[in-house]
Amino acid sequence: MIALKTVGHPASRIDALQRVTGRATYTGDLHLPGMLYARVLRSPHPHARIVRIDVSKALALPGVKAILTHENCDVVWGSGDMRNKRYLFNNPVRFAGDAVAAVAAVDRHLAEDAMRLIDVQYEVLPFVLDPEEALKPGAVEIQPGGNLSADNKGEHKPETYRHGDLEKGLREADQVFEDHYSSAHINNAQLEIRVSTAEWAGDKLTVYAATQGISMCRIEIARDLKLPLENVRVVCKYMGGGFGNKNQCQDSDLMAAMLAKKAGAPVKLEFTRKEDFIAVHGRWPTKQYYKVGVKRDGTLTAIQFRGYSGMGPYRKSSGDIAGVELYQCPNVEKLVYPVLTNMAVSANLRGPAYPQGIFGIESLMDHIAYELKMDPIDFRLKNMTRKYHDELPYTSFGLEDCVLRGAEAFEWKKRWHPPGEGDGPVKRGVGMAMGAFGAAIGRSSAVIHLDGRGQYELHVGVTDVGTAAKTTMALIAAEELGVPLAKVSVVSGDTEVCPYSVGESGSRTTTHTGYAVIQAVKDLKQQIADKGLPQGDEIRTGSATPDPATPKDTARYSFAAHFAEVEVDTELGHARVVKYLAAHDSGRIINPLTCASQVKGGSTMGIGMALHEELLYDAAHGLPLTAGYYGARVMTHLDTPEIGVQFVETEDQYGPFGAKSIGESSIIPSVGAIANAIFNATGRRVKDLPINREKLLEVLA
Amino acid sequence: MSKISRRKFVETTGTGLVVATSVPLAVQEATAQEGSAQQPVAAPTPVVVPRTPVRLTINGTEHRLPVEDRWTLVEVLRDHLGLTGTKIGCDRGECGACTVLLDGKPVYSCSQLAVWADGRKIQTVEGLARNEHLHPLQEAFIEHDGPQCGYCTSGQLMSAKALLDHNPHPTMEEVRAAMTGNICRCSNYNRYVEAVLAASASEAVGRTA
Repeated sequence: MIALKTVGHPASRIDALQRVTGRATYTGDLHLPGMLYARVLRSPHPHARIVRIDVSKALALPGVKAILTHENCDVVWGSGDMRNKRYLFNNPVRFAGDAVAAVAAVDRHLAEDAMRLIDVQYEVLPFVLDPEEALKPGAVEIQPGGNLSADNKGEHKPETYRHGDLEKGLREADQVFEDHYSSAHINNAQLEIRVSTAEWAGDKLTVYAATQGISMCRIEIARDLKLPLENVRVVCKYMGGGFGNKNQCQDSDLMAAMLAKKAGAPVKLEFTRKEDFIAVHGRWPTKQYYKVGVKRDGTLTAIQFRGYSGMGPYRKSSGDIAGVELYQCPNVEKLVYPVLTNMAVSANLRGPAYPQGIFGIESLMDHIAYELKMDPIDFRLKNMTRKYHDELPYTSFGLEDCVLRGAEAFEWKKRWHPPGEGDGPVKRGVGMAMGAFGAAIGRSSAVIHLDGRGQYELHVGVTDVGTAAKTTMALIAAEELGVPLAKVSVVSGDTEVCPYSVGESGSRTTTHTGYAVIQAVKDLKQQIADKGLPQGDEIRTGSATPDPATPKDTARYSFAAHFAEVEVDTELGHARVVKYLAAHDSGRIINPLTCASQVKGGSTMGIGMALHEELLYDAAHGLPLTAGYYGARVMTHLDTPEIGVQFVETEDQYGPFGAKSIGESSIIPSVGAIANAIFNATGRRVKDLPINREKLLEVLA
Repeated sequence: MSKISRRKFVETTGTGLVVATSVPLAVQEATAQEGSAQQPVAAPTPVVVPRTPVRLTINGTEHRLPVEDRWTLVEVLRDHLGLTGTKIGCDRGECGACTVLLDGKPVYSCSQLAVWADGRKIQTVEGLARNEHLHPLQEAFIEHDGPQCGYCTSGQLMSAKALLDHNPHPTMEEVRAAMTGNICRCSNYNRYVEAVLAASASEAVGRTA
């Protein structure tokens, strides 16, 4: 790989100064003159019909300016459900936390006071939390048409993938393994609370949103409020994390806009932390059933997978369970049932379909290797995917190197031992797992200006959710221009002055918008070649909206292999990670400093998911019990080991300078690696996430 | 490894887990277990809320203002004094985004009533740099890529400042223990610890306490 001048060298974030001095202006930091504060009243029941709602007492409170309920607001939140009509305020309410009313008042406390004066009469309905229970005959119907969410064609069928002949594959096997795994609902739990501030000027609307994509947010607000696109402006200058739950436009954006319209004043709508935990969305809980056929020498002959994803009552995303595609196998059948339940809504959280699915398949494959008396690494080298779905070649492929070089750096051979070996009570063990995540290229835009002083100003519609996207875009521009990074400033986070950008979801910003930056710079160079450098107050502008694609018969993926060593106290059931190595093929690394931070963060989040995070429910009442940082047990400083990071840079001819994706692939293998390390330490396997103290003690008993 | 649990930390910072006034009661009530189909309606709310004049010395500047007795310290800082560098992540004493120094000690400002701070000294992230000279911690946070999304950063900085003020050369374990009340969901903990250790090794750190 040819070394580049700017790209590939560690660079501090161009906006780091703002972030360490408190000067970075996040959405909630904005204060508009005459602004009202708004709060949302939510359902205390997992499923109920609103028989009567009386807001008169609340409206009578001096200082209360507007109240919305299902009776006076029929706005449909388009991205709140891919299949059914989801209103901002629904009747019936379908989960504990479904919005019932929103109140705007002159101050926050008054809005809360008013909320308590709203009188709601509910007719309580039966509810169901478990996706398999929800599919049984006699289960309460949560949406018309049944609890198995409809597919793209509107048919209530599982999402299905098949190749080869499953029965033949199972017949050819020397041994068939069957097992099941499951995973919990966990919350994105980004630190920034959800805030939307909306302001109208005539029929023009500005929404200061906390969003992962200003362009999509704007398009969807315009669609849902039936406004011309040019009448909507979305601003998000600094963004405090989302991990998938601030994609698109949120109901808070629409509620703030409707309240502001009704009240005739700007409105800042804030969700509390508890609301964020129960009323937005988290990772879908899954139940996974596997049947795998294998030859005596370890060759896979068949993989059958049936999975159930609990989507909550509104289907916001696919509900897919990924992982089977990590393995080369001629006969595969995969059925996934996205099921409606009365739990909190489930949708995107960093690598939405992956860590829980990888946990399942990598636990089982680890188990098969153990039963066949093969080293887990050898088993994976023999069976890992080498073509996407056994069919399409990858544009670049670093999975094997991730496994080999990661294992070497981790000293796998030295650390691995037969499972359960050792006297205890504290036992050590190692585990590994693989991962792959798409690195698609596609449509986005960029504009770049050059002024007479020789300063470049890059306009890109990114918000920078913490990935260092602004810095990455500047580095790419500086490289293509052949100028120092300091010559490039970035304008971002405002649809008024930024062109369309793909949202910061799907780990696509570098590959999509980064590529558009290169094309815009090329256009600028052409302008300069044609008209010369700008003089005095002249300005030259380059722009591009490329829509690149990889050839139809190829697949473009990032790859990873993670290695973990854990210590399990077999008397207390306490597991902690003592050593960790993450090896990643993300093509060319644009900024090794911030890219490694992504890997460290994603791996750490995965450890939390593996060992303790869960939104627990009271099954008798259908109510969430652990809706907060303390109860959900997210990772803290003390829980976090040193995460080693190794980049395996493959040459890829697509994307900006051959860069692939990173943000999501960083969490994907981590959960499986931890689970397998616990097996290696104890000789026992916990098959239900999280692998907490209670479950460990149960299998160790 | 963990000599101090997070619960212990929260207790010792004097904030506790119960927030006096700012917990959104309506949501709590709305999600509490209820057998009846009807929601209780609260008694009519008084329109006039008592106010108490307070004197706060924030980053060396004295502020005198009347505060509603239910206002939290972070609310006064952000909404009434324009000091928005201090963030609200949970408003219930769990995440540490709102950490400020109260008479030199790190506290969750969401869990302190403003009236309790009367007559006391408060330091926020805005007071870390002196005349555009960044604190060594700020320099180290930039160099070691501490902030990812940056939302927890102010709180991380203030906890780290409190640590270095009384223990200028902590071990890695001491850094982790002192900062464990500050959650970073981007989970950039490695970077924050690296940065604090780097700052503690810099010569300037002794001079900024």
